[in-house]
Amino acid sequence: MLPAVDHSAFVVSLSARLQRAGVSVGFTGMGALVRAMAAAPLGSRASLYWATRICLVQRQSDLASFDAVFAAVFDESLGIDPHARSQPLRAVGDEDMLASIAGAPSFAEEGDGLPWATLPSVTSTTEAETGGLALPERMPSGLEGLADTPFDELDTAQLALLGGWLEAALTSWPTRRTRRQSAHHAGRRTALRPTLARARRTGWEPIELVLTRPVRKHRRVVMLCDVSQSMQCYAAAYLHLMRAVALTTDAEVFAFATTLTRLTSVLVYKSPQLAMQQASEKVADRFGGTRIASNIRALLASRHGGATRGAIVIIASDGWDSDPPDELAKVMARLHRRAYRVLWLNPRAAAPDFAPLVGGFSAALPYCDDVLPAHNIGALGDVVSAIVRAGRSDVVSSRG
Amino acid sequence: MTESSLSAAALRQQLDEVDYLVDEGLSTALYLALALGLPLLLEGEPGVGKTAAAKALASALGAPLIRLQCFEGLTAGEALYEWNYQRQLLAIRLAESRDEKLRDADLFTEEFLLERPILQSIRYHGPVVPVLLIDEIDRADDEFEALLFEFLGEASITIPELGTYTAQRRPMVILTSNRSRELHDALRRRCLYHWIDFPDPARAAEILRRTVPGANERLILSATDFVGRVRHFDLDKPPGMAETIDWVSALTLLGASELGRADILLTLGAITKTPDDRDTVAGELDALGYEAAAAT
Repeated sequence: MLPAVDHSAFVVSLSARLQRAGVSVGFTGMGALVRAMAAAPLGSRASLYWATRICLVQRQSDLASFDAVFAAVFDESLGIDPHARSQPLRAVGDEDMLASIAGAPSFAEEGDGLPWATLPSVTSTTEAETGGLALPERMPSGLEGLADTPFDELDTAQLALLGGWLEAALTSWPTRRTRRQSAHHAGRRTALRPTLARARRTGWEPIELVLTRPVRKHRRVVMLCDVSQSMQCYAAAYLHLMRAVALTTDAEVFAFATTLTRLTSVLVYKSPQLAMQQASEKVADRFGGTRIASNIRALLASRHGGATRGAIVIIASDGWDSDPPDELAKVMARLHRRAYRVLWLNPRAAAPDFAPLVGGFSAALPYCDDVLPAHNIGALGDVVSAIVRAGRSDVVSSRG
Repeated sequence: MTESSLSAAALRQQLDEVDYLVDEGLSTALYLALALGLPLLLEGEPGVGKTAAAKALASALGAPLIRLQCFEGLTAGEALYEWNYQRQLLAIRLAESRDEKLRDADLFTEEFLLERPILQSIRYHGPVVPVLLIDEIDRADDEFEALLFEFLGEASITIPELGTYTAQRRPMVILTSNRSRELHDALRRRCLYHWIDFPDPARAAEILRRTVPGANERLILSATDFVGRVRHFDLDKPPGMAETIDWVSALTLLGASELGRADILLTLGAITKTPDDRDTVAGELDALGYEAAAAT
């Protein structure tokens, strides 16, 4: 209950609402509630009710008002359902709600939704409460509200928001060691030439050691995204992930359904709309059938096949393949030998009763280092951290 | 520490094992008080199990129960600490007889300190934090509430001659009140607050099954139903859970296997505590479905 909500803001705005309804709430109680919410996650409406009542209410005569306010906040149709919460204005609905509410607090009967998701209260109480307690009533940021919304329910604007967030999230990047050396105070090798050059000034006594260490460069990422019919609802979100990857670093990105299309050149346009438009024009075979094995084979054979060498390869597909599974197993084995890490994003793996029964996916599974369910924004965050993690573990790696 | 690893549900289970049945509200209240280290103020009608909650919590946690029964005229000497005057006088006599010089500081040491319940709970050294029950705080005077503020807020007591004693681990403090007078806001502010409702019929029946093991099942069900309806009458003192338990025990002792008019009239004293209440309930027996003809 209440995921991704600032506890303090929630408690303060609920307390302000209670105070307006005539319930006296003290700071000790508010502090206790914040600590209680941190100590034990409140799993249900009942546990939230009891925790708020025990911490905030101080006398029996206040219980009726408290119940009214609590019911107004949590029994509203808007409720705590994340899907409804992501569109707060539409759920509030009535145009009158935007008008200023008069001084008398009639909200308890009306129930204008969650205290931090109500636009009307912000506009109405600012003049009325300048003398008393003026509080900002918080809305969850656009993305946090969407964190558990499946991709197929996001609209274009929300996807653009996602693209921006992904670009910001990809800050640290996996690196690889190169054979070049550069001077660094924490290096482990002594560079003979510059050390001797400095020793000239001190009578050939090497007082100042010049240490070097290997230069690290970004590890290349190759991402392939399935844009077939079965992946239609996830394709847009994955295109944004591919764009973020392509913009951030040295990456090659491809879309495939029946044939392979290289999208690196079009997705790096600065304007996301233009990039997405160009990409959808370029992919001719989208929302058709899938031939994963022949597409990966085509990639390995093409002039971009070298890009997979020592790279982190990400394949986003549900594994429904019209090629025979043993074909996919063969080509995945080749890819696995050539790549540094192979990650597979399967949005269907998020289902609680998921089992890798699809022929193609079960054939590819032994050759994947990691399988991630990237079905919503929260899971996509895990993908980003998995990419970074994949690059970090090169100490224990036998290859690369 | 066992307290922090508890959850509200686990606590409920533990209380269940010592035969104290709680609803989600009370178990959450007790759990939060334990987890946050805050005092818990319990209010409710007489006989809904406020005091029993503290006793049950102590036995569920295996903690010692330190009880402070409040009454009018309760002073710091009976609640916090007191100096042992007799021993101080003896010490002075002894010093005089030995021609020793005694200073004030020699007389006001821990040796001469008598611990009363609150200081006892602060200085308790044991594996489990003690449960301190401050029972019926509304019976004590207003001034006594003010004495408690330092203890409730910081879990410490200042003794002018010795300094401040602070609890290493905050004792679990439970205050109960029957609302015979309104408590001060400053006291309420320092506590978590829980209002205990009369248990619903199903839970009341379950409580009776546990506490009066010999009672007949039909008797329990009809008795809880009867008490539930009687509580809606205009009575001076509506029967609580404790009275219901007494009543069912009395009926069981008389060998009643189901509720009849004659038995009700015989044992009415267990649930009605004033003559007016007794007459009201007896007068309403027909309306409740226990007519004279049906009973015989």
